[in-house]
Amino acid sequence: VRCQQYPPLRALQASAVLGRASDEHKKEPLASSSQQHFDSPPAGHQPEEKPQGPHPSYTGQGGQESEDYESEEQLQHRILTAALEFVPEHGWTAEAIAEGAKTLGLSVAAAGLFHSDGSELILHFVSECNTKLSKLLKKEQKLVQLGEAEKKPIDEFLRDAVEARLRMLIPYIEKWPQALSVLLLPRNIPSSLNLLTSMIDDIWHYAGDQSTDFNWYTRRAVLTGIYNTTELVMMQDSSPGFQDTWRFLENRVADAMAMSSTASQVQSTGEAVVQGLMGAAVTVSNAETSRAVR
Amino acid sequence: APGGGAALRPCSTRGAQGGINKPVIDRIIRVDHAGEYGANRIYAGQMAVLGRSSVGPVIQQMWNQEKAHLRKFNELMVAYRVRPTVLLPFWNVAGFVLGAGSALLGKKGAMACTVAVEESISEHYNNQIRTLIEEDPDKYKELLQVIKQFRDEEQEHHDIGLEHDAEATPAYSVLKTAIQLGCKAAIFLSERI
Repeated sequence: VRCQQYPPLRALQASAVLGRASDEHKKEPLASSSQQHFDSPPAGHQPEEKPQGPHPSYTGQGGQESEDYESEEQLQHRILTAALEFVPEHGWTAEAIAEGAKTLGLSVAAAGLFHSDGSELILHFVSECNTKLSKLLKKEQKLVQLGEAEKKPIDEFLRDAVEARLRMLIPYIEKWPQALSVLLLPRNIPSSLNLLTSMIDDIWHYAGDQSTDFNWYTRRAVLTGIYNTTELVMMQDSSPGFQDTWRFLENRVADAMAMSSTASQVQSTGEAVVQGLMGAAVTVSNAETSRAVR
Repeated sequence: APGGGAALRPCSTRGAQGGINKPVIDRIIRVDHAGEYGANRIYAGQMAVLGRSSVGPVIQQMWNQEKAHLRKFNELMVAYRVRPTVLLPFWNVAGFVLGAGSALLGKKGAMACTVAVEESISEHYNNQIRTLIEEDPDKYKELLQVIKQFRDEEQEHHDIGLEHDAEATPAYSVLKTAIQLGCKAAIFLSERI
């Protein structure tokens, strides 16, 4: 998430900010997307004191925070993560959050911390998926740097990255259309757009994009289009293993590659034509001059 | 060699070092990149008109330095993962038109344009240096080094412009004010969009 905080959506903030793996966290720590989280270093984060259920909060020696000290954001983060397990059954709803809270030993009233339409839960999920994708891409990059893996050609890289990201939706695919419509609510659009753009930027970054001109925008726009259309196709796909979706994705990526090579062909043809015309003009004017001289 | 002291490091290590103020750095690099890009196009425009005149070599030399500046900011842009301004195609045309237009006013006109632009840029770089020093001079040491060096070179261009009778241009102060207003607007927009 690109360094923006949305006060009502603190669960989102929690997912983005947490770089610290607390021992309460039974899920994967978010540590390695650090390159995106510049403005909220964990050290500067002021946690609020909140004694809760099985986790006594106390300060250790010298008034330092101990590992068991938990902020409200961290708590919300844990509840939402626990709630994801119940989404396939209950959808992106307060019921799922309530069930999640129950598994943590908290009261179902904890669901009252969140909006009833499940916005925070969905945004939390998207943010988690993006983080997972970043980690995956970073790991692959490291392997390539160490020489243990081949560097993929761009179309294959983009295809694999989008596929990896979309596969994270599979456990929740039944309820995903509902989530998409919630993400499109005007209230949620800034956050969901932010998450989408930073995910796309991440993919291009790891694909090795180094454009510093308008191509920066063109590439991201094209990939966003590919991602969104493939996501929609996936919602309707009933083929085994979503093979229709992956084939659709492959075709769209191939189209994009063709489009860019066509664009550069058009440009070089245009330049060649212009040069040809200039040459012709010079030749004609030389011919005229020499005729005049004679 | 352009700004050789500043090493190129990938963002991930930078983030792990305790975090830079990404929004501020983003803006700085975006607007500086746009500025150098625009300056390039201005000199390109001037060369298109005055390339074969007596000031041709002088302009070419200044243009070469701007090219080096742009290369440096391209590197920094990739290293810090900064988005370029969406107005780049517009600065492409506007810069060239300004350069060519001022050159059509004569050699002094071109020099007046150079003086106006370089003065704006120097002031702008000074502001950035102040901002970065206020933030944390140690964290941003390399960036500060780069900007200081570039500011000095832009100042040189400004002085060269003055040496070549920029002030003798007809309607010099009007021209200068107009160009500097344009620069201020360009800086404002490029920081944000």
